[in-house]
Amino acid sequence: MTSKTITRTRNFVLLTLAQVIIFSQIHLFGYATACIFTIFLLKLPRHTTQNETIIWGFLFGIITDIFCNTPGIHSAAATSMAFSRKYILAAFTHKGLPDDFIPGVKSLKWGGYIVYAIICIAIFYAVLFPLELFAIRHFTTLLISTSSSIALTMLFVIVAEFFSPNK
Amino acid sequence: MRSILDILIKHNHWFLFLLLEGISFVLVVFFNNYQRATIFTSANSIAGNIYSAITNVDSYFGLKSENEILVDHNKKLINDIEILKARLREYEDSASIANMQFTSQHNEGFYYNTAKVVNNSINKVNNYITIDKGTSQGVNSQMGVFNDQGVIGVTYTSSSNYTVVMPLLNSKSIISCKVKDKGLCTLKWDGMETRYSYLIDLPRYELFENGDTVVTSGFSSIFPAGIPLGRIDRLEDSADGQSYRARVELFVDFSDIDNVFVVGNSNREEQEELEEIFN
Repeated sequence: MTSKTITRTRNFVLLTLAQVIIFSQIHLFGYATACIFTIFLLKLPRHTTQNETIIWGFLFGIITDIFCNTPGIHSAAATSMAFSRKYILAAFTHKGLPDDFIPGVKSLKWGGYIVYAIICIAIFYAVLFPLELFAIRHFTTLLISTSSSIALTMLFVIVAEFFSPNK
Repeated sequence: MRSILDILIKHNHWFLFLLLEGISFVLVVFFNNYQRATIFTSANSIAGNIYSAITNVDSYFGLKSENEILVDHNKKLINDIEILKARLREYEDSASIANMQFTSQHNEGFYYNTAKVVNNSINKVNNYITIDKGTSQGVNSQMGVFNDQGVIGVTYTSSSNYTVVMPLLNSKSIISCKVKDKGLCTLKWDGMETRYSYLIDLPRYELFENGDTVVTSGFSSIFPAGIPLGRIDRLEDSADGQSYRARVELFVDFSDIDNVFVVGNSNREEQEELEEIFN
């Protein structure tokens, strides 16, 4: 339990630093921004309690918000994603899996894992961008930002999967 | 009753979820009123220090171009000094020197400070810039920020060593300005392209032209008059057809700002108090 907590905290710190120092500064074509901390939420074991998942999501969000001067926006999005993760994961769970599996290519196969990740990340951006563009009605900008950011984040999710110790 | 309690306990994560979402939405909605809550912005000391450290490393890579800019700026200053010296000599023996002193007193309320940009964004609808000076260096909210290219924005909230600036590239930013030798106007960004901003509500009777330079008006008590903002690039009718709207090509390249000047006005409070009486 303790070693698990230490590993998670370490991953949390590393991912947050990478997010605010590198990934939040990169805006591909002015539209796409990758939120790589979503990988942490995607890869939490199936039986992680909802409370723990939601708190991790909120912490990632609020720290990114502080660094990006977007109070509340990332935290609202990450909390929503953390909350809905369990229900999405349930749709991909089948009997052959060990009880407390870690979502990934090994457990869900490429197809399952990618669809699961896309749905989770889509929820994240579906909350994030409307909140950010609150006052302004640029529907096309919203669509381009959302879809390109989902694609960019998915690229990193897939790359991370190749380096993951427990696929 | 007991079964209701059981359901509530079993689904306690719903409450946590709603609570945290609630906190997030409060932050989103009330950020405008949170000017003092610097803990939620990159002006807080931890975020500020991390950004300073990154900028320290990063600034070495831009030394060459930064040097070229400084040399250019120096050259311009030396030229300006020469021009001013020549003008002073012209006036020296004449009585108009008294007039000059009289008119120059108007600007004495402004004082300048330099700062370094430690964090900057340009891709959002509401962008912010963090600079490495705060209240302990005399930088507070509602002060003007510009560089050698032109106006950058207005300071928004300050901690003791860092300040968040609301640049022109923020949909909440409204700058009072004037078209050189013509009427007053207001500059507002539409959240789209980072090179352009818009002059809104231009009166129809005034003849604006493409290429006209837009400068600060000096009426807002934040900026002294005459700091350049941009050049009119395209004139069009406003959405309601009542006035003109002009696209302005901004002089400042917001993707590449490093050193900035912060201008304060020691008479600002006095001016605002006076104006407050009439509002």
